Amino acid sequence: MMLARVADSLYWIGRYVERAEHMCRLSDVMLNATLDRTDAATQVASIVQAAVGDPETGIGLTPYQMARSLALDREDAGSITASLSRARENARQVRDQITTETWERLNLIYLRVTGPGAAKAFEDGSSAFLNEIISDLHMFKGAADATMSHGEGWGFLMLGVYLERAQLIARLLKVCFGDDKQSPVTDHAALTSLLRMGCALEPYLRRYTADIQPRLILEFLMFDADFPRSLRFTTSRIAEHLAGLSGYVDHSSHSGPERFAGRLKARLQYADVDNLQIRDASPMVGTVLDECAAIHSAIYDTFVAYSLEMRLPA
Amino acid sequence: MSPTVKGGKFTVGYRVAIAGRSNADSTPLPYDEMMTADGSVRPHYKALDQRVATLGDQELADRQKTLERFFLLQGITFTVYGGESSTERIIPTDLLPRIIPAEEWAVVEAGLTQRLRALNMFLDDIYGAQQILMDGVVPRELVLSAPSYRREMQNLYVPHKAYANVCGSDLIRQPDGAFAVLEDNLRVPSGVSYMLANREASKRTFPGTFRLAGVRAIDRYPDLLLSTLKGMAADWRPNPQVVVLTPGVYNSAYYEHAYLARLMGAPLVEGRDLVVHDNMVYMRTTTGLRRIDVIYRRVDDDFIDPLTFRRDSSLGVAGLFNAYRAGNVVICNAPGTGVADDKAVYAYVPEIIKYYLGEDAILPNIETYLCREPAQLSHVLANLDKLVVKAVGASGGYGMLIGPHASAKERADFAEAIKADPANYIAQPTIQLSTAPCLIDGAIDARHVDLRPFILSGEKIVVTPGALTRVALKKGSLVVNSSQGGGSKDTWILGAEESRL
Repeated sequence: MMLARVADSLYWIGRYVERAEHMCRLSDVMLNATLDRTDAATQVASIVQAAVGDPETGIGLTPYQMARSLALDREDAGSITASLSRARENARQVRDQITTETWERLNLIYLRVTGPGAAKAFEDGSSAFLNEIISDLHMFKGAADATMSHGEGWGFLMLGVYLERAQLIARLLKVCFGDDKQSPVTDHAALTSLLRMGCALEPYLRRYTADIQPRLILEFLMFDADFPRSLRFTTSRIAEHLAGLSGYVDHSSHSGPERFAGRLKARLQYADVDNLQIRDASPMVGTVLDECAAIHSAIYDTFVAYSLEMRLPA
Repeated sequence: MSPTVKGGKFTVGYRVAIAGRSNADSTPLPYDEMMTADGSVRPHYKALDQRVATLGDQELADRQKTLERFFLLQGITFTVYGGESSTERIIPTDLLPRIIPAEEWAVVEAGLTQRLRALNMFLDDIYGAQQILMDGVVPRELVLSAPSYRREMQNLYVPHKAYANVCGSDLIRQPDGAFAVLEDNLRVPSGVSYMLANREASKRTFPGTFRLAGVRAIDRYPDLLLSTLKGMAADWRPNPQVVVLTPGVYNSAYYEHAYLARLMGAPLVEGRDLVVHDNMVYMRTTTGLRRIDVIYRRVDDDFIDPLTFRRDSSLGVAGLFNAYRAGNVVICNAPGTGVADDKAVYAYVPEIIKYYLGEDAILPNIETYLCREPAQLSHVLANLDKLVVKAVGASGGYGMLIGPHASAKERADFAEAIKADPANYIAQPTIQLSTAPCLIDGAIDARHVDLRPFILSGEKIVVTPGALTRVALKKGSLVVNSSQGGGSKDTWILGAEESRL
């Protein structure tokens, strides 16, 4: 049993933290790739611009300017600083529910990115700046994992993390392989950058060797059972955490999100991977994005924004 | 930067500063917590004095920095709104503890217990038979016309007759060294989290001195608070569900609300989390609605229930007061306790103690003139340059005139305000707060301090052996409120027995 508002906040901490980490990685890969003035570099920059979401952002900016505003612009709701501020604001609202160790990690990151030295730190070394945030976020997750009870609150935090991750990876795949108007990415350097954006390069190499092919990347990021950022892995965690949460609910109405997640998990688990084609990417990724949206609203209907009439004592 | 000098440079400087004080007029010098008037260190400060003497400038400054970082990391901050962005600041905190010996504390403890017992009896009487008004000990219209008097509380059952479950009284030390009560806070007193956080910090700053001094522990406070709150519903609910009700994250005391909820293991709720149905209060949880029995509310009376009190409040819960009236939930502190800490009623507290307990007040009041009494009013108007005048309804150091520091025009303006609404004003002689050593800009200097201990009352009354010492950081200032540049420091109450295996 926990307050619905608290569950909501924990869920959003998970989402914002994951989003911030992903945006750091995207910016870092882009800055790194665009050191070379090649076509691939331009392609990477446009992948990032499309994956960040808003097609208006970044028009006319250099990759460096875009990365800088993605990192530090407080006004832009999609920036890393904005995500971290919101994660921390949510954490402040549920300060009684998370351990001091967990809170301190998040507060520290927030103080760093909003502090007076942030802009200078970015200019002095953008890669170090971004990677430091990533590793601090890993420490945040580690502290949460090691000190928080793995009960209901934990379940909501993790739901936020995995749902956000599934959507971010799906959006990245959609940009690279699922856009009907543009031809899929095939350039070797661009593909390598894509794997880096998904934090997947090393695990991919171990699985497929240095044979970098669009079809294999799609297979890996969608269907790998063990890679923590594959869509199959993340949806499987979503289903798992929802099943865990239903243990706390004694109403039958919880079947909504669990059913959606179970269905999505099964789709990815039993997909026909051997006959996978690049042109399948668009419908499959579209389904994943739709189902994730459905899971999100079902979580709200079940746990947070339920109608009071249904739950009043008789 | 000056070279580091070891060995008592600071305390020597402090001794000079204290010994060199003089007052232009004949008012007595303030009491200093560490030094006697002739410049010797009081016995209970000797260990700290010696410890500080061995630390250099840099070491002391480093420790102060570590202390501030601890507060920042913990998020013990308040938000300053202004301009386009809001910034968070820590409450200024001083690393040198204020030390109170056991025998002095014993008097404070007995005095506070006596006072709160009498005030609870007073509230029970006011919201019941009103015997004290009939006997003319306290003027009837003074009580019944006070804005903090809640007619809705009349004849309402309050368990153990404990109205003010949490009380934070403001004490000051007078020039002769005796403590006096400046103000009783019976509504929603705050500051206890700073007391606890300051303690955590000072254990890190002076661990050795702390251990040797025999400081009494205060870390049971959350536990005692929880059992006090549970005790308010224990008669009718076997394991009552306690919650902390906060106005939300934008309230300046939000850190404290979250801190207490976390340490008590009680849910921290906002008004929007609660629902009243059939005069029962429920909170919205992930698994549906769950009944609540005790609400430790950190929301003012006016805002707890828009149906009963202020209709424009969005911080409270519609129907909460009716659920309370029906006896299905306990609100702590009870609504309407403010009538007993009203600045005008304050003047009568010694008589109130005498009336209910037949005892003389152990802790004296500050002499108070009520402008509502014509004779006292003319005395006040004639002596505005010597008095501090306060509006009865205001708090936080606002709406007051400090006569000796005001200009002739300010006094004249204030006199008009008093004459227009005399019942709204009280006056007190300019009080002297005691001073204590503080680290200011790298040197030790004297600053004025007050003392806010916390008292719990439920089935019985418990005084926590600790307090928040508030510091007026501006030299010579007597205003300790954090909203006006006040800080705080840890308070060591001595007399703990050393534990042995």
